[in-house]
Amino acid sequence: MTAATDAPVRRPLAPAGGGVPLTAARLLRLELRHNTMPWLLPLIAALFWFDTYRPSTATPPYWVLRTFWNMGQGHTIIDFAPFVAGVAAWVGSRDGRRGTADLVTAAARPRWAVQLAAWAATAIWAVGGYLAFVGALFALYAHQGVRGQPPWWWVAVGAAAVLAFSAAGFAVGALYPSRFAAPLAAFGAMLAMLMSSQTGFTHTSGWAQILPTNSNGNFQADSGMLYPWLPDLPIVRTMFLAGIAVAALGLLGLPAAAGGPRLRLAAAVTVLAGLAAAGTAAGLAGTARLGPHGLVIPALHDAANDRPIAYTPDCAGGGFRVCLNPDYGSELAHVTAALAPVVREVAGLPGAPVRATQVAAKYSAGEGQGGQAMTISGHPPVLGMPLGALGIPGAFGWTDGETAGQLQLLLVHAFVGAGNGVGTPAQQAAQAALLQGAGLPFASQPNLLGSVGLPSWAPATGGPGPTTPVPATGPIYAAARRLAAMPAGPRHAWLAAHLAALRAGHVTLAQLP
Amino acid sequence: MTAAGVHSQAPRATHASAVRPGPAWLWLPWLYLVSRRAPAALALLAGCGALLWAALHWHWYVAGGPAAQMLFPLVTEAGAATVITATTYGPFGEPERATGRWLPYLRLGAAVTLTAAAIGALAVGSTGGELYGGFAAMARNVAGMTGVGLLCAVVLGGMLAWAGPIAYWVLAEGALANRLTTPWVWPARPPLDRGAAICAYLVFAAGLVLITVRGAHESVRDTAT
Repeated sequence: MTAATDAPVRRPLAPAGGGVPLTAARLLRLELRHNTMPWLLPLIAALFWFDTYRPSTATPPYWVLRTFWNMGQGHTIIDFAPFVAGVAAWVGSRDGRRGTADLVTAAARPRWAVQLAAWAATAIWAVGGYLAFVGALFALYAHQGVRGQPPWWWVAVGAAAVLAFSAAGFAVGALYPSRFAAPLAAFGAMLAMLMSSQTGFTHTSGWAQILPTNSNGNFQADSGMLYPWLPDLPIVRTMFLAGIAVAALGLLGLPAAAGGPRLRLAAAVTVLAGLAAAGTAAGLAGTARLGPHGLVIPALHDAANDRPIAYTPDCAGGGFRVCLNPDYGSELAHVTAALAPVVREVAGLPGAPVRATQVAAKYSAGEGQGGQAMTISGHPPVLGMPLGALGIPGAFGWTDGETAGQLQLLLVHAFVGAGNGVGTPAQQAAQAALLQGAGLPFASQPNLLGSVGLPSWAPATGGPGPTTPVPATGPIYAAARRLAAMPAGPRHAWLAAHLAALRAGHVTLAQLP
Repeated sequence: MTAAGVHSQAPRATHASAVRPGPAWLWLPWLYLVSRRAPAALALLAGCGALLWAALHWHWYVAGGPAAQMLFPLVTEAGAATVITATTYGPFGEPERATGRWLPYLRLGAAVTLTAAAIGALAVGSTGGELYGGFAAMARNVAGMTGVGLLCAVVLGGMLAWAGPIAYWVLAEGALANRLTTPWVWPARPPLDRGAAICAYLVFAAGLVLITVRGAHESVRDTAT
């Protein structure tokens, strides 16, 4: 008996007519009953709980935050891929290992069709398992009251990835029927996932966006709450992974033993179609640009997805009203309380905001999703306040006090007119004095400025991080101390008279009182 | 169907006799190793070493701290463990068990030799750059994950035992990312951590003992090449 790849060309069989679908269904049922994948699903379930569900519960209850680790960074795929590839390779190498290649080649069905039935059974178990686990995960999140909309498109990407790994693993097993096929396929999947993550962390644009675990720009801070999840990138990733699956399955039909000439020609066309789909998808990913709501791929983009999600805000506060998206309703009291001391400090001054309203947080490749500056605009002035991942206690392990400090800093920074930069020395000194007046002592301000998640101007003016205490010294803090030491009335009067010049950058440190 | 090859000698048997080692006492271990595809396993272990060398030389690190730098070496260590576990499967089944009184020693020798070869290959690979954790952590991780694989071979069989080291890699990757520090997830502990070393080598010893005494679980439905 010879190995699968050495078997002679078999004569094409006459079409079996109406019996074909029934035979195929029986074959598939047999393969489903004897498949190995179900035996590994309990192991995958345990890993899924440990690696996918457990870490996500440490984040605040928003879909975008809960699923960033497991969908955005692809841990659901990492948990499945090596096992699916390994089992598929094992199933694919079955005829070669058992020495039954000739037997199968001489059977009533073309060898390719038999192999496709075995692969389909593995893929059904694998994708079915993936969807069942993700379904259970989402049901658990929903039960916990997670807010926003689930990232359905990213579930489709995960399912396509499982499909692709099953096809690639099966091809490895069929073409290299050895005891090492399964471990090699599993190891290859593990390596592919690791390289995908590694490349993904360092490539924020271009072709690398096609990689299934590249998390750059795919999960925006307010996706599914203030604006919809953009489907552009998930569509090209699904297309890429499906293309790989099709090409891998087509490869199985190319050897002489796979079937007659027409079947092999169809297999060759299948390979080319799969490669074309994968190549096109990679090319489309290369055209992606970062829009305010996520990665936009011009050839696929639907302008309807740019429309923000309509909502009636939840508001709180007496004189100073704070209005948030209802998905952020549970943060309303915290945000209102955090802003109140600064609002009291600047009340009555020119340009002081009379209310605050939440605006959509935007992701930028340079700043990440934490770099969200506040703005003050309109008549009367209104504070535009992006929250997103910022300002949410627990998002990065922050406490209520830390997030309150960040909100106060961002409000004062906008108030002194420093915009998206570090501000002039005088603006920085006024900012420090106002924060001191709002209850944030000078000594704690450098560490606040150095905390993770603030716009890049903050660490530039503060310390290297919250774990390294930096003294609040230097000419800026000296000027700030002078300003803060003034009685409230004269300080208020000076600020009222000089705020316009301060915001325009025309005030120097020496001119501060 | 073709009859080609039915009357010819098995190609691997020919190969084995052609390269028969000199002393007679080496003949049985050699046959055992060939039947377990140990030469192919050694080639794959060398490949793991080469991969580690390339990763260290060209800095294929995941962005992040020391934990992230552990991931690539850990993948090659898990890969080496899967290769070793795949060699536990025996193609002869009951006849071999009934007649081979040296079989437990051969199993033990093969597992120890291949583990040593894996550590050696990865040690050579680590010359490509700075290996996070150094030799001690690498040897501990390889031994521990091989132990996991050997235990899986006893329970699941040699053909599915690769799932053990792979599952352990996923577990360790999650533990590293989430800063878990139980000694049972030894890659997440410092290189010279005593608790982690005890756990890893305990698992390795348990795997060696069980694979020596019981051998890999065998399914009558499967034969290997």
